[in-house]
Amino acid sequence: MEREPAAAVSIEGLRKTVTVGFRRRRVEILKGVDLTVGEGETVGLLGPNGAGKTTTLKIALGLMRPSAGTARLGVAGLHEVGYLPENAYFYDYLSGRELLGLCARLLGLSRGARDERIAEALKEVGLQDAAGTQLRKYSKGMLQRIGIAQALINDPRLILLDEPMTGLDPIGRVEVKRIIQRLREEGRTVLFNSHILADVGELCSHVAIMRSGEVVWRGPVEDAVPSGGGSLEDFFVQVVTEGAVEPENAESGSPGVTR
Amino acid sequence: MSRAFAIAANTFRETIRDRILLVILVFALAMIVASLWLASISLGQEARLMQDFGLVAVSGFGVIVAVFVSAGLVRKEIDKRTVFIIFSKPVGRGEFIAGKFLGLSATMAIVVFGMTVFLFLLVWAVAGEPSGRLLVAGGFIYLQVLVVMAVTIFFSTFAAPVLAAVLGLCVFAAGQLSHNVLSLTQLGENAVLEGLSWVVFLVVPNFSAVSLTPVVVGEQVADWSTISGWGGYLVAYAVIMLGLSWLVFRRKEF
Repeated sequence: MEREPAAAVSIEGLRKTVTVGFRRRRVEILKGVDLTVGEGETVGLLGPNGAGKTTTLKIALGLMRPSAGTARLGVAGLHEVGYLPENAYFYDYLSGRELLGLCARLLGLSRGARDERIAEALKEVGLQDAAGTQLRKYSKGMLQRIGIAQALINDPRLILLDEPMTGLDPIGRVEVKRIIQRLREEGRTVLFNSHILADVGELCSHVAIMRSGEVVWRGPVEDAVPSGGGSLEDFFVQVVTEGAVEPENAESGSPGVTR
Repeated sequence: MSRAFAIAANTFRETIRDRILLVILVFALAMIVASLWLASISLGQEARLMQDFGLVAVSGFGVIVAVFVSAGLVRKEIDKRTVFIIFSKPVGRGEFIAGKFLGLSATMAIVVFGMTVFLFLLVWAVAGEPSGRLLVAGGFIYLQVLVVMAVTIFFSTFAAPVLAAVLGLCVFAAGQLSHNVLSLTQLGENAVLEGLSWVVFLVVPNFSAVSLTPVVVGEQVADWSTISGWGGYLVAYAVIMLGLSWLVFRRKEF
């Protein structure tokens, strides 16, 4: 992971090729992703399945290596980053408090800071009463919330959430949305993948749309939702099926079209 | 290093809560108790037979537990995607491997020393003459178990758990036999076979040459400097295997 203070996330020309199957066929899953996330922005990364959203996040975190290009995080190190993986699985023999304790230790928090941050994180996600319960007894919504709590345990400046709303019932969705809203209000940088466009429109300041391993549109949410009507869903379908779209309001100063 | 200890503590918690471990441990203790039957048919050799048979049981079950637990130790984290939680934090690949090894080492210390102390007490109660070296032999079995664990973890960084377990057991078996096979091939005149035996002898851990069981049962004599040398050899072998595991694992993508 390289560092650059100017932007919270700076991805340039990111390519990733993997080999698949017995004949080791080469498949290019990222074809030159360019994406910049400014400090304090809440960015929704959209795209159909297989567009390369998760791979982009994984490379940014160092879980995968790029074949070409760079992914820089504008933080001092991973101790300033919070990450919730897609369909996160946690050690189900641990209690919620034990999991957060483990994550806090991995982040190098001192014992005093650990106890304080665990209590705060549990409170932030509303799981104080279930803190001593083993994770195997948690519901899907509770697991997603404890996942967010472990992502926030270090009070991170940059938060990456991979499909945070997937599989949640309406109540769980509302709870997770409330957490993301609060992070936005606190001025943290949040980048999250989602298929639920209504939530992205509601929560994000900016949207980036990926298709077939490339970012084909990036700009403020207002530019994606025309003032005369239409929805983010219509805009998304248009971008994904028809290609790049010029922003409606060119004077807005948005980064706008990326290709 | 504190991150490695955090992973170690979690691994210990995971493995010690595994019920299969408890089942195997109960079975191993039953096998040790079965040495009473052997003692009953021996002629004045109760203590020796009980110690010999008991140490084989401790070693055998220790290795079985070590191989099957360590074969899935790393792969399970990848398959269940808990590695995402670990490596999205500032945790090095070496710290992860070291932590997994240390955690399982703590569990295996309880397993091996628990069985050894049980055997010691049994010999004491039945034959009344346990050798103090029985406990040292238990320590040596523990070192052998650590080597088998390190070897199996190395295989598990690139192979499926079943294959890693089979390869781990094969290395253990080869390590038990390599010394004798080399001696036999040296008696013959086949240079190729002798060369192959030398390769196996040098590559696999030489368990048969560094076992304390013959010393405990009075078949062999060894002074403390020799015993220390054997211990150093086993520790060095485990460290090298963990280093190789790190070299393979650091290239892994998730």
